Amino acid sequence: MTHWRRIVAKLRNLLGNKRAEENLACEVASHLTLLADDFERGGMSPQEARLAARRALGGVEQVKQAHRDERSLLWIEQTIQDLRYGLRTLSRSPGFTITAVLTLALGIGACTATFSLVNAVLIRSLPYGDPNRLVYLYTPNPQFNLPAEVFGPAYSDLYDLKKESTSFQDMTAFDESVFSLATQGSAERASTARVDGDFFSTFQASPELGRAIGPSDNEVGREKVAVISHALWQSMFASSADILHRSLLLDGNAYQIIGVMPQGFEYPHYSDLPYGSAQYKTTQIWIPLALTPHQMDDRDNASGNAVARLKPGVSIAQAQAEMSTLMVRLDKLHDARVRGWGAQVENFVDGTVGHVRSLLWLLLGAVSIVLLIACGNAANLLLARAASRMRELGVRVALGAGRSRIIRQLLTESLIVGLVAGGVGICLAFLFLRVLPLLNPGNIPRLNEASLDTRVLLFTVAVSVLTSMLTGILPALAVSRIDLTDFLATSSSRSVAGAHTRVQSTLVVVESALVVVLLAGAGLFIRSYINVVSVDTGFSRSTVAMNIGLDARYSQPERVEFFRNLFARLAALSGVEKVGGISNLPLSNSEDLREFEVDGYPNKKGQLVESRLATTQYFSAMGIPLVAGRLFTQEDKSDQSVAIVNESFAKRYFANRNPIGGRVSREDDHTRWSAVVGVIGDVRDSALEKAPEPQIYELDGNFGGGYIAVRSTLPAESLAATIRSTLHSIDPNLAVGDIQTMADLESEASAQRRFQTSLLSLFAGIALFLALVGLHGLMAYSVSRRTREVGIRMALGAQRSDVVILVLRKAALLLGLGLAAGLVCTWVATRAIQSFLYGVSAHDPITIGAVCALLAGCGLIAALIPARRAASIDPMQALRTE
Amino acid sequence: MPIQILQGTLDLMILRTLATMGPQHAYGIANRLQQVSEDTLNLNQGTIYPALVRIEQHGWTRGSWGTTENGREAKYYAITKAGLKALDEETERWRQMAGVVEKLLAEEQ
Repeated sequence: MTHWRRIVAKLRNLLGNKRAEENLACEVASHLTLLADDFERGGMSPQEARLAARRALGGVEQVKQAHRDERSLLWIEQTIQDLRYGLRTLSRSPGFTITAVLTLALGIGACTATFSLVNAVLIRSLPYGDPNRLVYLYTPNPQFNLPAEVFGPAYSDLYDLKKESTSFQDMTAFDESVFSLATQGSAERASTARVDGDFFSTFQASPELGRAIGPSDNEVGREKVAVISHALWQSMFASSADILHRSLLLDGNAYQIIGVMPQGFEYPHYSDLPYGSAQYKTTQIWIPLALTPHQMDDRDNASGNAVARLKPGVSIAQAQAEMSTLMVRLDKLHDARVRGWGAQVENFVDGTVGHVRSLLWLLLGAVSIVLLIACGNAANLLLARAASRMRELGVRVALGAGRSRIIRQLLTESLIVGLVAGGVGICLAFLFLRVLPLLNPGNIPRLNEASLDTRVLLFTVAVSVLTSMLTGILPALAVSRIDLTDFLATSSSRSVAGAHTRVQSTLVVVESALVVVLLAGAGLFIRSYINVVSVDTGFSRSTVAMNIGLDARYSQPERVEFFRNLFARLAALSGVEKVGGISNLPLSNSEDLREFEVDGYPNKKGQLVESRLATTQYFSAMGIPLVAGRLFTQEDKSDQSVAIVNESFAKRYFANRNPIGGRVSREDDHTRWSAVVGVIGDVRDSALEKAPEPQIYELDGNFGGGYIAVRSTLPAESLAATIRSTLHSIDPNLAVGDIQTMADLESEASAQRRFQTSLLSLFAGIALFLALVGLHGLMAYSVSRRTREVGIRMALGAQRSDVVILVLRKAALLLGLGLAAGLVCTWVATRAIQSFLYGVSAHDPITIGAVCALLAGCGLIAALIPARRAASIDPMQALRTE
Repeated sequence: MPIQILQGTLDLMILRTLATMGPQHAYGIANRLQQVSEDTLNLNQGTIYPALVRIEQHGWTRGSWGTTENGREAKYYAITKAGLKALDEETERWRQMAGVVEKLLAEEQ
């Protein structure tokens, strides 16, 4: 015991109890001075007096230690007392304890899980040095009506900026490409970043093995080197130690491996770049960009992406101002026909996680509401229990326990409950994180890296303690207000209990109100999700599509020949109905815009339209309906003499005219025209939520790469296998990408919505469950307290149905108040989630109605159980109790 | 011959001292105890510190900093109401205890 006590005392000293120590030091010093003064007065020299004083006191350090032991003992002992007493009383009522622990565990678990997502995505630092100093550079051009993020700087502009600017410490240009990576006997598509010599130094990332790509690797003739990701090292090379002596075959060219990046560095990710390649998930290979001197001087050849690191102390605004000034000069060096290139510096971290920030905070907010409801429930349980412990506590007060001592005791008990609940909550969160990858929509960066790290665990402990305090303080205060004379006079707890039920009822009302808010939010999300997935996409869901990119081994005529051959062989398969090719498939996150003019329309300068190249069978393969005119035929020449437009195009540019026979200008020359021969139905192209934009389709008679679409009566899996084997038989060294149905693409496009909707619905479900448990608990409690009253009523002739109504009426009143308060809150709260909704108003009456009906229905069922128990009370028995 | 302090009696003696003499610092208390015992008490002055902190934590005394007649800073202990009550109880208990012991010793002789 002594040993243990000392450990705790030491811990306490560690935690600092600085004031007591300082106080003690002063006191001992003063004591010594007083002693020495007296000795001096007795005739000693000052030095002798000081020594004598020390002797008389008996060892300064011993005195201090004795003081310390004594000082901390009482505190520790009382705490130990409280803990033991708390554990004993809690274990004596396991029903209460388990309910309270589970209630809080649900709340804390949900909070922990959500916070671990926020931690992984928003808080945990990116592995790029100080990521807050990284910025994206763009050179937007107002001539084109396009977002700034579309315009990466031209190489020459970038390298001039690098030379002339003073705001940036480092600057790099890079590109995303998909290469065919030769593996044993076959090939696969590898996401590859082509980077200039400053890429790794800008990101302040160094390889775990070997070296990174540097400026010398970008010199012509030395560029056949590659750095690979940790994942690729593991999967393709089995983490072999001689990796730096191995090489890779990319599009048939050998690249010497010079380095392996550590786990966690796979930049750029699919979700990092606003206009990144759709074929790209995470980067597995980095190779030199290896620009020729000619390319570096080119002001029209834009780098895909540019990232820079600000010098310490330089703000984004300062960098922006400097870059703008420099771009004014550089703009004049551009081709006179297209000028107006500006400057835009954007925060890197915002670009990476900005789009999910509000969603994650929203989820954390929702889960805090769940936690509040759990707290309310636990507080109610504690209040109910406190009422039944009134006798015990009254006796303790009568025996001299102080008010603060009682509060401390009760808080210790709720702290035990809170911490145990925290432990269970961590287990729940752990389970949740195991399920999370199934829900991952794929566009939230680093979501799968969510884990229970130290920060999350500290968060959980803090939440548990806070929860305990929130839960415990109300009952503790209520109980400690015991009036001793009252208590002794009534010799029962009846008088004190009345005040409690008022507090308890208030808690249930507040809980119901909070549930209404969450249910309404979840309801609106569900409605939006249903709206999105039931959107008419304009194409057939069963069509199978894939991207085929031929590598550098193929010349242009060989490519055309390859696809002719492929289309013919696929079309010959039994069950295959149509095979088509297209430059940009819907929902594939790829876009092609071009300038155009419409004959007989007041055209604007720089007018842009989505432009597609399609083969003759594409529309029928995709199930896109013909609205007017005709589709492309074999007889059409692919010299841009004919075009097909979609309905949106026809509506906007041929309003009140017949589009068939109208003319649209050709890309390169606004004096030459293509004749519109057909109008096809609109398709959802960039996103399911986004209304279709005008599109022009031109015939591609020499299809040489892009997406193919196949319609067949075969099941998707067997068709995919057949396509795969057909491709393999034509070229065994071809890397084949994913083969998906259009339904798969739709599912991917709605994945984030599914993610947010399922999480919010889960939280709302937990909240509803907790609130119902709370309501049921309160009604059961009040029934048990009113046993005698019910007995008297029944003895005086009340029917069982009267008793049921008596209980239900109270429940209905609480629910009604909760609903009313909740609807007011909802009115305000749902406006905040407006941007997450699709096709439904924030005050959607159907959702609100459903929420009311759901809560009222479930609430009355929860209340019916105790009501029936009240009705089954035997009056004789009831009158004999108490 | 110097005598050892009986367990638990130091608190009582300090409380008594404070009740009689009014607020005192640790040195004053220790001096008073030695004076009263006519130096038969074997007391390192430091040994009263645990007792001081104990009775303060019980709320029987309240400490505050003040100045001595000679202008030195010192922490003064003043007995509280609860302390006076405790003093009465402890005195009573000591008297009973001492009485029992005295009676027992007298009978044995």
